[in-house]
Amino acid sequence: MNGDGRGTPDPEPIGRIPPYLRVSPSGAAPTGPPNRDTQSASLRPFVLTAGRVNAVDPEIDVETQVTLRPYDPRVGRVPLASLGPEMQAMVALCDQPISVAEISARLRLHLGVTKILVADLRAAGYLDVHVADTLSPVSADTILRVMHGLRALS
Amino acid sequence: MDFAHFPDAPVVTRRPPVPVKIIVSGGFGVGKTTTVRSISEIPPLTTEAEMTSVAIGVDEPRADSLKTTTTVAMDFGCVTIDETLKLYLFGTPGQDRFGFMWDSLVNGALGALVVADSARLDDCYQSVDYFERSGLPFAVAVNTFDGRLTHTLAEVRWALAVNDRVPVIAFDARRQSSVADALLVVLEQALDRVQHQ
Repeated sequence: MNGDGRGTPDPEPIGRIPPYLRVSPSGAAPTGPPNRDTQSASLRPFVLTAGRVNAVDPEIDVETQVTLRPYDPRVGRVPLASLGPEMQAMVALCDQPISVAEISARLRLHLGVTKILVADLRAAGYLDVHVADTLSPVSADTILRVMHGLRALS
Repeated sequence: MDFAHFPDAPVVTRRPPVPVKIIVSGGFGVGKTTTVRSISEIPPLTTEAEMTSVAIGVDEPRADSLKTTTTVAMDFGCVTIDETLKLYLFGTPGQDRFGFMWDSLVNGALGALVVADSARLDDCYQSVDYFERSGLPFAVAVNTFDGRLTHTLAEVRWALAVNDRVPVIAFDARRQSSVADALLVVLEQALDRVQHQ
Protein backbone atom coordinates (compact mmCIF):
# COMPACT_ATOMS: atom_id res chain seq x y z
CA MET A 1 0.00 0.00 0.00
CA ASN A 2 2.53 2.55 1.07
CA GLY A 3 5.67 1.14 -0.46
CA ASP A 4 5.14 1.20 -4.18
CA GLY A 5 6.46 4.02 -6.30
CA ARG A 6 3.24 4.87 -8.03
CA GLY A 7 1.95 6.95 -5.18
CA THR A 8 5.15 8.90 -4.58
CA PRO A 9 4.36 12.62 -4.70
CA ASP A 10 6.37 14.86 -6.98
CA PRO A 11 9.08 16.76 -5.14
CA GLU A 12 8.34 20.15 -6.70
CA PRO A 13 5.27 22.11 -5.72
CA ILE A 14 2.62 21.44 -8.28
CA GLY A 15 -0.33 23.12 -6.73
CA ARG A 16 -3.67 21.47 -7.18
CA ILE A 17 -3.01 19.75 -10.47
CA PRO A 18 -4.66 16.34 -10.45
CA PRO A 19 -2.16 13.51 -10.97
CA TYR A 20 -3.35 12.68 -14.46
CA LEU A 21 -2.77 16.27 -15.61
CA ARG A 22 0.77 16.62 -14.29
CA VAL A 23 3.67 16.92 -16.70
CA SER A 24 5.84 13.89 -16.17
CA PRO A 25 9.53 14.65 -15.48
CA SER A 26 10.66 12.54 -18.43
CA GLY A 27 8.58 14.64 -20.80
CA ALA A 28 6.73 11.61 -22.02
CA ALA A 29 3.00 11.89 -22.36
CA PRO A 30 1.34 10.58 -19.25
CA THR A 31 -1.15 7.83 -19.56
CA GLY A 32 -4.13 10.07 -19.33
CA PRO A 33 -7.72 9.06 -19.79
CA PRO A 34 -8.00 7.33 -23.14
CA ASN A 35 -9.93 9.05 -25.86
CA ARG A 36 -13.44 7.83 -25.86
CA ASP A 37 -15.83 7.86 -28.74
CA THR A 38 -18.76 7.68 -26.42
CA GLN A 39 -20.94 10.68 -25.66
CA SER A 40 -20.21 12.63 -22.50
CA ALA A 41 -23.82 12.28 -21.52
CA SER A 42 -23.43 8.54 -21.26
CA LEU A 43 -20.82 8.84 -18.53
CA ARG A 44 -21.73 9.31 -14.93
CA PRO A 45 -20.67 12.73 -13.59
CA PHE A 46 -18.35 11.24 -10.99
CA VAL A 47 -16.44 9.42 -13.73
CA LEU A 48 -15.71 12.73 -15.45
CA THR A 49 -14.54 14.33 -12.23
CA ALA A 50 -12.56 11.32 -10.98
CA GLY A 51 -14.90 10.98 -8.03
CA ARG A 52 -14.78 14.58 -6.87
CA VAL A 53 -18.06 16.30 -6.02
CA ASN A 54 -16.89 19.76 -4.99
CA ALA A 55 -15.03 22.25 -7.11
CA VAL A 56 -11.58 22.94 -5.76
CA ASP A 57 -12.16 26.61 -6.52
CA PRO A 58 -15.41 27.59 -4.85
CA GLU A 59 -15.00 31.12 -6.18
CA ILE A 60 -15.69 29.88 -9.73
CA ASP A 61 -19.19 31.17 -10.38
CA VAL A 62 -21.74 30.51 -13.11
CA GLU A 63 -21.00 33.81 -14.84
CA THR A 64 -17.21 33.65 -14.32
CA GLN A 65 -15.37 34.27 -17.59
CA VAL A 66 -12.89 31.73 -18.94
CA THR A 67 -10.22 32.32 -21.59
CA LEU A 68 -7.38 30.34 -23.15
CA ARG A 69 -4.04 30.75 -21.46
CA PRO A 70 -1.19 31.26 -23.95
CA TYR A 71 1.26 28.37 -23.84
CA ASP A 72 4.30 29.03 -21.70
CA PRO A 73 7.16 26.67 -22.68
CA ARG A 74 8.93 27.35 -19.36
CA VAL A 75 5.99 25.87 -17.49
CA GLY A 76 4.93 23.19 -19.91
CA ARG A 77 1.77 21.22 -19.79
CA VAL A 78 0.40 17.84 -20.69
CA PRO A 79 -0.42 17.41 -24.38
CA LEU A 80 -3.97 18.31 -25.31
CA ALA A 81 -4.48 14.86 -26.83
CA SER A 82 -3.90 13.23 -23.45
CA LEU A 83 -6.84 15.06 -21.89
CA GLY A 84 -10.29 13.56 -21.80
CA PRO A 85 -12.64 14.49 -24.65
CA GLU A 86 -14.69 16.75 -22.38
CA MET A 87 -11.60 18.74 -21.44
CA GLN A 88 -10.46 18.96 -25.05
CA ALA A 89 -13.88 20.27 -26.01
CA MET A 90 -13.66 22.85 -23.22
CA VAL A 91 -10.30 24.11 -24.42
CA ALA A 92 -11.70 24.42 -27.95
CA LEU A 93 -14.73 26.39 -26.67
CA CYS A 94 -12.59 28.90 -24.81
CA ASP A 95 -11.14 30.33 -28.01
CA GLN A 96 -13.33 33.35 -27.18
CA PRO A 97 -14.10 34.54 -23.63
CA ILE A 98 -16.96 32.39 -22.37
CA SER A 99 -18.86 31.94 -19.12
CA VAL A 100 -18.80 28.76 -17.04
CA ALA A 101 -22.56 28.46 -17.53
CA GLU A 102 -22.19 28.62 -21.29
CA ILE A 103 -19.48 25.93 -21.29
CA SER A 104 -21.81 23.75 -19.23
CA ALA A 105 -24.73 24.30 -21.59
CA ARG A 106 -22.81 23.91 -24.84
CA LEU A 107 -21.07 20.70 -23.74
CA ARG A 108 -24.18 19.41 -21.96
CA LEU A 109 -22.20 18.88 -18.81
CA HIS A 110 -23.62 19.33 -15.34
CA LEU A 111 -22.69 22.73 -13.91
CA GLY A 112 -20.89 21.15 -10.96
CA VAL A 113 -18.87 18.90 -13.27
CA THR A 114 -18.03 21.87 -15.46
CA LYS A 115 -16.69 23.87 -12.53
CA ILE A 116 -14.43 21.00 -11.48
CA LEU A 117 -13.05 20.42 -14.98
CA VAL A 118 -12.54 24.15 -15.56
CA ALA A 119 -10.57 24.33 -12.32
CA ASP A 120 -8.50 21.34 -13.44
CA LEU A 121 -7.71 22.98 -16.78
CA ARG A 122 -6.69 26.14 -15.00
CA ALA A 123 -4.35 24.16 -12.77
CA ALA A 124 -3.00 22.33 -15.82
CA GLY A 125 -2.15 25.63 -17.51
CA TYR A 126 -4.73 25.58 -20.30
CA LEU A 127 -7.25 28.13 -19.10
CA ASP A 128 -7.38 31.47 -17.34
CA VAL A 129 -10.34 31.76 -15.00
CA HIS A 130 -11.14 35.39 -14.24
CA VAL A 131 -12.52 34.91 -10.75
CA ALA A 132 -11.39 38.32 -9.49
CA ASP A 133 -13.96 39.99 -11.76
CA THR A 134 -16.81 38.46 -9.80
CA LEU A 135 -15.40 38.77 -6.30
CA SER A 136 -15.56 42.51 -5.74
CA PRO A 137 -18.90 44.09 -4.83
CA VAL A 138 -20.70 45.75 -7.71
CA SER A 139 -20.28 49.52 -7.75
CA ALA A 140 -22.96 52.14 -8.39
CA ASP A 141 -21.11 53.03 -11.57
CA THR A 142 -21.42 49.48 -12.89
CA ILE A 143 -25.15 49.39 -12.10
CA LEU A 144 -25.62 52.71 -13.90
CA ARG A 145 -23.78 51.36 -16.94
CA VAL A 146 -26.05 48.30 -17.05
CA MET A 147 -29.11 50.57 -16.78
CA HIS A 148 -27.81 52.73 -19.60
CA GLY A 149 -27.23 49.63 -21.72
CA LEU A 150 -30.76 48.29 -21.11
CA ARG A 151 -32.33 51.67 -21.93
CA ALA A 152 -30.43 51.67 -25.20
CA LEU A 153 -32.13 48.38 -26.16
CA SER A 154 -35.67 49.67 -26.16
CA MET B 1 6.43 26.86 -31.78
CA ASP B 2 4.94 28.31 -28.68
CA PHE B 3 1.53 28.00 -30.19
CA ALA B 4 2.09 24.61 -31.73
CA HIS B 5 -0.68 23.28 -29.54
CA PHE B 6 -3.05 25.96 -30.80
CA PRO B 7 -2.46 26.93 -34.40
CA ASP B 8 -5.58 29.08 -34.29
CA ALA B 9 -4.94 30.72 -30.95
CA PRO B 10 -4.77 34.52 -31.09
CA VAL B 11 -1.42 35.92 -30.11
CA VAL B 12 -3.01 38.62 -27.99
CA THR B 13 -5.59 37.28 -25.57
CA ARG B 14 -8.59 39.56 -25.39
CA ARG B 15 -9.55 40.63 -21.89
CA PRO B 16 -12.96 39.16 -21.14
CA PRO B 17 -15.85 41.41 -20.11
CA VAL B 18 -16.69 41.78 -16.44
CA PRO B 19 -19.83 39.70 -15.90
CA VAL B 20 -22.79 40.83 -13.81
CA LYS B 21 -25.98 38.86 -13.29
CA ILE B 22 -29.64 39.24 -12.48
CA ILE B 23 -31.70 36.28 -11.29
CA VAL B 24 -35.09 35.65 -12.90
CA SER B 25 -37.14 33.51 -10.57
CA GLY B 26 -40.67 32.25 -10.14
CA GLY B 27 -42.87 29.18 -10.33
CA PHE B 28 -43.20 26.69 -13.15
CA GLY B 29 -44.61 28.09 -16.38
CA VAL B 30 -44.87 31.74 -15.34
CA GLY B 31 -42.66 32.97 -18.16
CA LYS B 32 -39.09 32.92 -16.84
CA THR B 33 -37.63 31.48 -20.01
CA THR B 34 -39.77 33.81 -22.15
CA THR B 35 -38.43 36.72 -20.11
CA VAL B 36 -34.85 35.64 -20.69
CA ARG B 37 -35.47 34.93 -24.39
CA SER B 38 -37.07 38.33 -25.00
CA ILE B 39 -33.98 40.25 -23.98
CA SER B 40 -31.08 37.84 -24.49
CA GLU B 41 -28.83 38.29 -27.52
CA ILE B 42 -28.42 34.51 -27.72
CA PRO B 43 -31.18 31.89 -27.64
CA PRO B 44 -31.54 30.85 -23.99
CA LEU B 45 -29.23 28.01 -23.01
CA THR B 46 -30.00 25.40 -20.40
CA THR B 47 -27.66 23.99 -17.81
CA GLU B 48 -28.26 21.59 -14.98
CA ALA B 49 -27.28 22.61 -11.48
CA GLU B 50 -27.47 21.23 -8.02
CA MET B 51 -29.66 23.07 -5.59
CA THR B 52 -29.68 22.50 -1.90
CA SER B 53 -33.20 22.47 -0.57
CA VAL B 54 -34.07 23.03 3.03
CA ALA B 55 -37.33 21.71 4.38
CA ILE B 56 -39.64 24.62 5.02
CA GLY B 57 -40.98 25.52 8.44
CA VAL B 58 -37.66 25.36 10.22
CA ASP B 59 -36.46 28.75 11.33
CA GLU B 60 -32.87 27.94 12.07
CA PRO B 61 -31.97 24.74 10.34
CA ARG B 62 -28.87 23.27 11.80
CA ALA B 63 -26.09 22.48 9.43
CA ASP B 64 -26.60 19.23 7.53
CA SER B 65 -30.08 18.79 8.89
CA LEU B 66 -33.11 18.41 6.68
CA LYS B 67 -31.18 19.26 3.57
CA THR B 68 -31.69 17.54 0.28
CA THR B 69 -30.02 18.18 -3.02
CA THR B 70 -31.95 18.28 -6.24
CA THR B 71 -30.85 18.85 -9.79
CA VAL B 72 -32.75 21.56 -11.59
CA ALA B 73 -32.61 22.93 -15.09
CA MET B 74 -31.58 26.56 -15.32
CA ASP B 75 -32.11 28.73 -18.39
CA PHE B 76 -29.88 31.67 -19.05
CA GLY B 77 -29.10 34.33 -21.57
CA CYS B 78 -26.94 37.43 -21.84
CA VAL B 79 -26.84 41.04 -22.98
CA THR B 80 -23.54 42.64 -23.95
CA ILE B 81 -23.60 46.11 -22.39
CA ASP B 82 -20.27 47.12 -23.93
CA GLU B 83 -16.86 45.58 -24.57
CA THR B 84 -16.05 45.46 -20.88
CA LEU B 85 -19.40 44.62 -19.31
CA LYS B 86 -21.81 41.75 -19.90
CA LEU B 87 -25.15 41.13 -18.20
CA TYR B 88 -26.23 37.53 -17.58
CA LEU B 89 -29.79 36.54 -16.78
CA PHE B 90 -30.34 33.26 -14.97
CA GLY B 91 -33.83 31.80 -14.83
CA THR B 92 -34.26 29.54 -11.82
CA PRO B 93 -37.33 27.58 -10.85
CA GLY B 94 -39.01 27.85 -7.51
CA GLN B 95 -40.18 24.65 -5.94
CA ASP B 96 -43.24 23.61 -4.04
CA ARG B 97 -42.86 22.46 -0.46
CA PHE B 98 -39.25 23.55 -0.26
CA GLY B 99 -37.36 26.61 0.50
CA PHE B 100 -34.03 26.58 -1.22
CA MET B 101 -30.58 27.88 -0.98
CA TRP B 102 -29.29 29.43 -4.13
CA ASP B 103 -26.33 30.93 -2.37
CA SER B 104 -23.82 29.91 -5.00
CA LEU B 105 -26.01 31.29 -7.76
CA VAL B 106 -27.28 34.39 -6.00
CA ASN B 107 -23.89 35.32 -4.63
CA GLY B 108 -22.76 38.51 -6.34
CA ALA B 109 -26.04 39.05 -8.22
CA LEU B 110 -27.19 42.63 -8.81
CA GLY B 111 -30.73 41.66 -7.93
CA ALA B 112 -33.65 39.43 -8.82
CA LEU B 113 -36.86 39.67 -10.80
CA VAL B 114 -39.62 37.44 -9.42
CA VAL B 115 -41.98 36.62 -12.28
CA ALA B 116 -45.53 35.95 -11.12
CA ASP B 117 -48.77 34.77 -12.67
CA SER B 118 -51.54 36.64 -10.88
CA ALA B 119 -53.82 33.60 -11.22
CA ARG B 120 -51.28 31.39 -9.44
CA LEU B 121 -49.58 33.66 -6.96
CA ASP B 122 -48.70 30.88 -4.55
CA ASP B 123 -46.13 29.65 -7.08
CA CYS B 124 -43.89 32.62 -6.37
CA TYR B 125 -44.15 32.74 -2.57
CA GLN B 126 -40.96 30.75 -2.17
CA SER B 127 -38.96 33.08 -4.42
CA VAL B 128 -40.27 36.19 -2.66
CA ASP B 129 -39.56 34.64 0.71
CA TYR B 130 -36.04 33.65 -0.31
CA PHE B 131 -35.05 37.07 -1.65
CA GLU B 132 -36.58 38.89 1.33
CA ARG B 133 -34.49 36.76 3.65
CA SER B 134 -31.31 36.92 1.62
CA GLY B 135 -31.50 40.72 1.37
CA LEU B 136 -31.00 40.71 -2.38
CA PRO B 137 -32.70 43.68 -4.12
CA PHE B 138 -35.71 42.37 -6.03
CA ALA B 139 -38.98 43.31 -7.68
CA VAL B 140 -42.13 41.30 -8.35
CA ALA B 141 -43.20 41.42 -12.00
CA VAL B 142 -46.66 40.10 -12.82
CA ASN B 143 -46.69 38.64 -16.31
CA THR B 144 -49.70 40.01 -18.22
CA PHE B 145 -50.67 37.03 -20.33
CA ASP B 146 -52.58 38.49 -23.28
CA GLY B 147 -52.46 41.90 -21.70
CA ARG B 148 -54.79 41.14 -18.83
CA LEU B 149 -54.34 40.79 -15.10
CA THR B 150 -56.50 38.50 -13.03
CA HIS B 151 -55.91 40.71 -10.02
CA THR B 152 -54.85 44.31 -9.58
CA LEU B 153 -51.27 45.04 -8.54
CA ALA B 154 -52.57 46.26 -5.18
CA GLU B 155 -54.26 42.90 -4.66
CA VAL B 156 -51.07 41.09 -5.66
CA ARG B 157 -49.04 43.16 -3.23
CA TRP B 158 -51.54 42.45 -0.47
CA ALA B 159 -51.58 38.72 -1.24
CA LEU B 160 -47.80 38.42 -1.29
CA ALA B 161 -47.41 40.63 1.79
CA VAL B 162 -44.17 42.08 0.48
CA ASN B 163 -42.41 45.01 2.06
CA ASP B 164 -43.66 48.42 0.86
CA ARG B 165 -40.29 49.15 -0.65
CA VAL B 166 -40.43 46.10 -2.93
CA PRO B 167 -41.81 47.19 -6.33
CA VAL B 168 -44.74 45.19 -7.70
CA ILE B 169 -45.16 45.86 -11.41
CA ALA B 170 -46.94 44.43 -14.43
CA PHE B 171 -44.97 43.47 -17.53
CA ASP B 172 -45.20 41.46 -20.74
CA ALA B 173 -42.52 38.76 -20.81
CA ARG B 174 -42.78 38.52 -24.60
CA ARG B 175 -41.77 42.13 -25.23
CA GLN B 176 -38.13 43.17 -25.06
CA SER B 177 -38.86 46.74 -23.99
CA SER B 178 -41.19 45.54 -21.24
CA VAL B 179 -38.58 43.11 -19.91
CA ALA B 180 -35.94 45.84 -20.05
CA ASP B 181 -38.23 48.13 -18.04
CA ALA B 182 -38.78 45.40 -15.44
CA LEU B 183 -35.04 44.82 -15.13
CA LEU B 184 -34.52 48.57 -14.76
CA VAL B 185 -36.86 48.51 -11.76
CA VAL B 186 -34.66 45.81 -10.20
CA LEU B 187 -31.54 47.83 -10.98
CA GLU B 188 -33.08 50.95 -9.38
CA GLN B 189 -33.46 48.86 -6.24
CA ALA B 190 -29.85 47.66 -6.52
CA LEU B 191 -28.60 51.20 -7.04
CA ASP B 192 -30.57 52.43 -4.07
CA ARG B 193 -29.04 49.68 -1.94
CA VAL B 194 -25.48 50.51 -2.99
CA GLN B 195 -25.91 54.24 -2.52
CA HIS B 196 -27.35 53.92 0.98
CA GLN B 197 -24.79 51.55 2.37
